[in-house]
Amino acid sequence: MNHFTTIMKRELRIGFRNPWAYSFLALFVIFMLSMLLIHQQGYSSGYSGVTGMLMNLTLYLLPLITLMLGAFSITGEKEDGSAALLYTYRLSLTSWLGGKYIGLLLVLISIVTIGYSVTGIISSFTASGFTASVYALLFIFAVLLIAAFLAIAMVIGAIASTRWQALTYVIGIWFFFIIGWSPIMIALLGQLPYLWIKPLLTIMTFFNPAEWIRVYIIAALGGGTIVGPEYYQWITWIMHPSGHIAFCLLTIGYVLGSLALAGWLWKRRRYRG
Amino acid sequence: MDNILRLTDVSKSIAQKQLVAPCSLSFTSGQIIALCGGNGAGKSSIIRMIAGLSKPSTGSITLNELTIEAQPEQYLAAIGYMPDDYQFTGSFTAYESLKFWGELKQQSTERVRELLALVGLQDTGKKKVHQFSKGMRQRLLLAQALLSKPALLLLDEPTNGLDPYWMKQFVSIIDETARQGTLVLFSTHQLQVAEAAADHIVLLDQGQIKLSSSYSDIKQQYGEEGIQKAYEQLFWGEEGPMKRVRS
Repeated sequence: MNHFTTIMKRELRIGFRNPWAYSFLALFVIFMLSMLLIHQQGYSSGYSGVTGMLMNLTLYLLPLITLMLGAFSITGEKEDGSAALLYTYRLSLTSWLGGKYIGLLLVLISIVTIGYSVTGIISSFTASGFTASVYALLFIFAVLLIAAFLAIAMVIGAIASTRWQALTYVIGIWFFFIIGWSPIMIALLGQLPYLWIKPLLTIMTFFNPAEWIRVYIIAALGGGTIVGPEYYQWITWIMHPSGHIAFCLLTIGYVLGSLALAGWLWKRRRYRG
Repeated sequence: MDNILRLTDVSKSIAQKQLVAPCSLSFTSGQIIALCGGNGAGKSSIIRMIAGLSKPSTGSITLNELTIEAQPEQYLAAIGYMPDDYQFTGSFTAYESLKFWGELKQQSTERVRELLALVGLQDTGKKKVHQFSKGMRQRLLLAQALLSKPALLLLDEPTNGLDPYWMKQFVSIIDETARQGTLVLFSTHQLQVAEAAADHIVLLDQGQIKLSSSYSDIKQQYGEEGIQKAYEQLFWGEEGPMKRVRS
């Protein structure tokens, strides 16, 4: 068995034995069921107020949980002495970081899948559930958020020395990307000449995975107009068949780029002290 | 016998503070070496440098002519390391923990079971490692270091938390390991362990090597009480070791 698989299996085992995972699962299921109950009050297809609310709540919850579980997993290894012990093994950084990433990704996706499955089963007994395509897109939205923010968590884990330090970074990054992004963008871009706003907003969107994943899913749900005229070109390319491929490449590139950064930081900090 | 571990002018300093003064040591396979000294003597720093966990500020370390910088794969394949500051926080059993390490070192489950039996943890069943006593955790870490039958076994304070029975067992285990050709290097502040097991003793104080001599030479120089006496003469001076203070 190669090292990558060994690390991944260990991460899966730790993840599924972690009480946190089950607290998060319970929270996610309760939250999904609440959304379902709200949705039952009226039928709508495609992007609606309820799907928007569901997306926003997912956007608050998933990145925070993902960042915390991911960053703690890495910093925990440092604090426990496990990372130091594994340095004395013939273990490549790619196997270690990659194995941890995929293991954690599978744990988190399993939790979200259970959440969606429970809600899906219950909604199948009711008259007015989400349509299958909307449900599938909301699930993809959750998975993409996990994949992107878990990669960021790896970077945080490589930088932070302790879990407490990691928690500080996690809250800071979560707040910046999820809560603070819109007001910061409005405040900053409002100071610039009108013609600069659109191109700058486009560039800035690439830096925040929560933002471009949200825009993509909203466009895919047919609610592209809701994001405003600044994203007109985004909506056009997302709806184009090549847009999906470009979006997939963007996500994969973001994840791989973040993991490469985490690896570089990890190597750089290894011999310090 | 060939020299397998060579430290040449190795020192370690962090932020102007010297943890280990320049030292040169050379050991051969089959030997048992004890690094003795109090807290902050530099024992762990030396072991961590040999294990490749920290870079020496000066000098070089070679193991069978390999260096960790030039041949990290072969160098790491030749060592087994037992850390001093390891915390088991995952909800793993002894078997699961050792199997994980064993898989990373390409060892069979038979080897894992054999080592669990060697350190007396074969019957711990589903009990999680974080529920183990300090001594049991130490024994598991020792088994981990022995997994690949390394050429160099590095043990950082291996007898901390061991009861007298397991301390004696530890001495037997490292003796048997050294007989099979492994160079064993361990740190301790428990002089009776060094006295019982070591062929060569290095006494350290505040990063300086105060004495580096074979057990037989120490015995010859300091008499029957050997290392204990050497330690007392080197470190306690006229004040002498701790004595009973209550009448």
